[in-house]
Amino acid sequence: MKKAIDRRKFFKQSTFSAACIMLGSKILRNNMADLSSEDTNPSASYNIMKEVMKYRKITAHEHVGLGETLEDQLNIADKLGIEKLEVSKPISEDSGTKATPEEVRKCNDAVLMAMKKYPARYLGSCFVNPFYGKESLEEIKRCMDQGMIGLKVYNQVKISDPLFYPIIEKFIDLKMIILMHAHCGLGVGGKRTKYGNIQPNVSIPEDFVDAAKRYPEAMFQLAHTGGGGDWEYTCKAIKDYPNIYVDTSGSNNEGNMIDFVLKYIGEDRMFFGTDGSYFQGVGVILASKLTDAQKKKAYFENYNNILRKAGNNVN
Amino acid sequence: MLIDINANVGHWPFIQTNCNTCKALLERMNKYGVDKSIVSNMNGIFYKNTQAANEELHEEILSDRNFRDRFIPFAIINPIYAGWKKDLEICSTKMGIKGIRLYPLYHDYELTDPSCIELVKLARDRGLVVSFTLRMVDSRPRAWMDLSKEMSIKDLLPIIKEVPDAKYFILNYGSIMPGDEDKEFLNNTNMLIDTSGRGISNLGELMKTYGRDKFAFGTHSPILDYLTGLLRIESLRPNEADETTKELLRSGNAKRILVV
Repeated sequence: MKKAIDRRKFFKQSTFSAACIMLGSKILRNNMADLSSEDTNPSASYNIMKEVMKYRKITAHEHVGLGETLEDQLNIADKLGIEKLEVSKPISEDSGTKATPEEVRKCNDAVLMAMKKYPARYLGSCFVNPFYGKESLEEIKRCMDQGMIGLKVYNQVKISDPLFYPIIEKFIDLKMIILMHAHCGLGVGGKRTKYGNIQPNVSIPEDFVDAAKRYPEAMFQLAHTGGGGDWEYTCKAIKDYPNIYVDTSGSNNEGNMIDFVLKYIGEDRMFFGTDGSYFQGVGVILASKLTDAQKKKAYFENYNNILRKAGNNVN
Repeated sequence: MLIDINANVGHWPFIQTNCNTCKALLERMNKYGVDKSIVSNMNGIFYKNTQAANEELHEEILSDRNFRDRFIPFAIINPIYAGWKKDLEICSTKMGIKGIRLYPLYHDYELTDPSCIELVKLARDRGLVVSFTLRMVDSRPRAWMDLSKEMSIKDLLPIIKEVPDAKYFILNYGSIMPGDEDKEFLNNTNMLIDTSGRGISNLGELMKTYGRDKFAFGTHSPILDYLTGLLRIESLRPNEADETTKELLRSGNAKRILVV
């Protein structure tokens, strides 16, 4: 990367030219005067909303029932040209609510209600707590029978835990993807550089790798590169496991993130996602160096190809 | 016209960034239709003597006529480091800056430090904008040597109340809003919040609370992606922002505060 300003110049420029400063002051004053004219005006050349609307979009990571009404959510989706929303209502283990089978059913009922109210927009994912193995499999059947398209799981049980095995095997049979909340943060065991959990029991990239190695025919979606901690570490850790996909949702829309995902994960394993951060989700891909064809894949085609495996794709 | 009130060049030591030179930033501005960018040199966040970074930026801007036409430099000043008053004077009188950026967490001082208050008053007297970046990066994926704390608008209230007649830019706004009483106070200040931060999740609603004269386009480039801040403005529906309001957000409010 080119750096016109670097630490070497710190020393080089200690003999800064007064004449240079005087010249600059005059020129910069002129610059400010130019603000009143629009003779440079390059802004007419780029229409961001036309670009946004050019791409069909499925958000592969969104929620319902977490404070915003369905109508408000769809209003934002409409603004940004998001056709379909994969939605779930998970319970965080540190939220104070225990993810009992009864509470889990209530969450899934909220998703089913959204699907029934706006069937053209919502793709529901089922939430379960694998600690309750028998009830989880029953709940998966109940949700799939009513048209859900995948699984969303949180931090009750790590994705690599044996409690998950029957659920993963069920989703191999269903040909559906498992979207798992993830985090990769600093500060475990007194070593600041050690990566691990901010939330208790959250799945870290290495947990995904363990599950992906054990079940190479399963499909795992590692949640929110823009909301799950160190996305560089995450991408490097899962690089060689083709059955781990990532969604790029989250509020942290770092400028280099999508290009890094492309470099390490590739153009076929990334999904557009929002997770409540709609503008960042759209903007971070739009501003990336992805080609037009790669953006189409990220915004729509890659996730639709996953849906196609179980016949749930969007036409 | 588009003015980005929150751009940076220079090196961020913990992560590779794209477009962190004036040349690369200008190319990006041309690609996406940004007319002018207010820019600082991030090296100044890490140098003990921030003036060296201001000099680097000034020299780089002088090196190309296009840079001189399109960039509006803001200086980084550390009010607890020797010589800061002279640095401010040079930046103001000889380098053509229109404002300053302060980084109290990185430079390790309190906003109510007498030197900081004096700096803000001097900036006010010179007609300079005082900018606070609430966070440079998200603390969740931060490097082990970086800060674990982020600032909120609440944290800025003591200095804004101390010097209420200064001009302020609040950059990369997060999510914690002050209470109603402080909102009313902020509404009466000469303040702009840029659109780059994650807290700008519903700009239409925020304008109802703070007014349409309190927001301006910003990117927080190159740390954040270049387009989300613009998307938050351009996606506003006519019932949320008419063309006049959008022009205020694109450049009108920035021009008003910069007095051009």
